[in-house]
Amino acid sequence: MTLNDRLRTVFVDALEVPEGTDVENLNYRGIEQWDSLGHMTLVAAIEDEFDVQLETEQVIDMSSFKVALDMLRGLGVDE
Amino acid sequence: MNLIAPTARLIDAATGGVLGGDDLAAQVERHATAYAGLPPGVVFARSGTSVAAVLRYVGALRADRPVAPLDPSLDPAVLADFVRRFEPAVVVGLAEGGAGATPGERPKQYRHVDDPALGSVWVRERPSTDQPHPDLAVLLATSGSTGDPKFVRLSRGAVESNAAAIGRALAIGPAEIAPTSLPLYYSFGMSVLNSHLAAGATVLVVDGGVLAREFWQAVQTHGATSLAGVPYNYEMLHRIRWSPAKYPSLRTLTQAGGKLRDEMILAYHEKIAAVGGRFHVMWGCTEAAPRMSTLPADALPDRVGSVGPALDGGSFAVLGEDGVETDRPGVVGELVYRGPNVMMGYAESSADLTRGDEQGGTLRTGDLGHLDEDGFVWLRGRLKRFGKIFGIRVNLHDIEEMAREQGPVVAVSGPDKVVVFVEQLTDDAARALAGRFSERLKLHRSGFDIRAIERLPQLPNGKIDYRSLEALV
Repeated sequence: MTLNDRLRTVFVDALEVPEGTDVENLNYRGIEQWDSLGHMTLVAAIEDEFDVQLETEQVIDMSSFKVALDMLRGLGVDE
Repeated sequence: MNLIAPTARLIDAATGGVLGGDDLAAQVERHATAYAGLPPGVVFARSGTSVAAVLRYVGALRADRPVAPLDPSLDPAVLADFVRRFEPAVVVGLAEGGAGATPGERPKQYRHVDDPALGSVWVRERPSTDQPHPDLAVLLATSGSTGDPKFVRLSRGAVESNAAAIGRALAIGPAEIAPTSLPLYYSFGMSVLNSHLAAGATVLVVDGGVLAREFWQAVQTHGATSLAGVPYNYEMLHRIRWSPAKYPSLRTLTQAGGKLRDEMILAYHEKIAAVGGRFHVMWGCTEAAPRMSTLPADALPDRVGSVGPALDGGSFAVLGEDGVETDRPGVVGELVYRGPNVMMGYAESSADLTRGDEQGGTLRTGDLGHLDEDGFVWLRGRLKRFGKIFGIRVNLHDIEEMAREQGPVVAVSGPDKVVVFVEQLTDDAARALAGRFSERLKLHRSGFDIRAIERLPQLPNGKIDYRSLEALV
C-alpha cells in the first residue's frame, strides 16, 4: 500500500467515518467526528501505524489530511 | 446589570479586532436596546465562541433580561423541547455553531426576524404568561450526567458576587488576557468571561480549543496570560507533551470541572512555577455560579489533592452521617456550601422561572469530603456514587483513585459488580488491577469487571459522560 492509502485507512478507522469518505478533503473540526477526542485518537493511530512520535507542534498543526501526509513525508516515512 | 468594567476589552482572534472602552460600551448598549424592543421574557442565546455571541450575552444582562447561553450543537429536538418548556421571548444566535450545528425548524408561535444588532433571531409572537422573577439573570443547563436536562437559576447578585470573588482569588487585574479555551455556555467558560470583564481585563475570543493551531497562534500574538481547563484538557496537553515554557506570556493555569490526577497537578505546578507562574486547582458547580473554592498556588505541592478554602464571602460545612453540620476538621460527610453565589433554584418549566430564591444561600453539593484545620476542602467523590459488589457498598471514587496511575479511569455500578473503564489498558494490566482491587477491598475479583476503552466518552463541556458508560454495562 502507498503512504497515501495507508494514511487514508488510518483516518477512516480513527475517525470512524464510512469507508468511502473523502478524507483527503477533511479539516479538523470540519466534521463532527473530527473533534478534539477524534484528533487524539487519530494522533495515536498515526503514531502506531507509522511508528513515529509526533511533537506538540505537529499535533497542533495537523489540521488536514494533506498536512498529515506532508508531515509523514517530512519524517521520512516510505512512500 | 453591567458586567463590564471600564477597562475591559474583547479581542477577536479571527480578525485581530479589539473592542474596548467607549466602543465596547456602545456595542453593549446597542444590543441592550435591541432586546428592549422585544416582547418581555427570557433570552435563549445559542452561543458559539464568537465576539457576536459574547455581545448578545452581555447585552441581555445589560437589558436586565435573563439569558440562557446554549450549546449551538444542541440537538434541534432538544432545543425545541427547551423552547416548548420555557417559552423564551427570543432565541438569538441562530447562525452560531460549527459543523453540523443547526437550530432546526422555527417553532410555532415564533417568527423569524433579522435584527440589525442581534442578527438572525426567532421572536415569540405573544409573550409567555410566565414572566421571569426580577432577580433572575442567567440560566444554565445542568450537565446531563446527573439527570434530565433542566436549568439552574442564577440571580444577578450570584453572578456579580461570584465574578468579583473569582477576580480576587485569582488576582485578576486589567493586565490579564484570558483566551476562551472553554465553551461560553459551560459554567466554567462563562465564569472566565464574567470574572475578566468585571475585573476590567481582556478576553481573547478564540475558537477551536487547545488542540487548534489558531488557539496557540492567538495566545502568542495577543500575549494571553492565563489558561483555563478541565481535567481532560490537561490530560490531552500532557499527552502531546505541551509545555507552558513556549508561551512566555502565559503565567496562570486554572483547573476545575472534575478531579485531575495528583501527579498531573504536581507536574503542571512544577512546569508553570519554573517560569514564575502559578497553577490553581478550583472547585465549583453550576449551582454556585459556579466557583466555590480555589487552592492558592503556594499551597502546592504540600496540599495537593485539596481544592482549597471557600471563596471570599462563602463558607463550607460538613453534614455528618448523624445529620449534624460541623466545621470540625477531619469529619467526613456531604459538603455544604453557603455564599451569595448560590443559585435561586432549578427550573423545569416556564412556571419555575417566576419563582424567587428557594435556597437561602445554602447548597448541598452532593459531594463527600472533609475540611482540614485551615478550612481547606478535601473531596472524596460523589455522595451517591456507590456500587454494590455481593451486597457490599463500595465507593466508586475510591476505586477510580486506586487505578488512577493507569490513565483516565471511570468506575460505574453494574449488577452486583463494578465495571471499571480504563483508557488503553493492556490485558495484563487489567488482570493486575482486578487483583489489586480484590486485595484492597477484600472482595472476590469476579466482582470487578475491568474493561479497556480507547477513549472515555465526553459531554460537550469536556466532562466524562457517565451516562453513556453506564449504558455499556
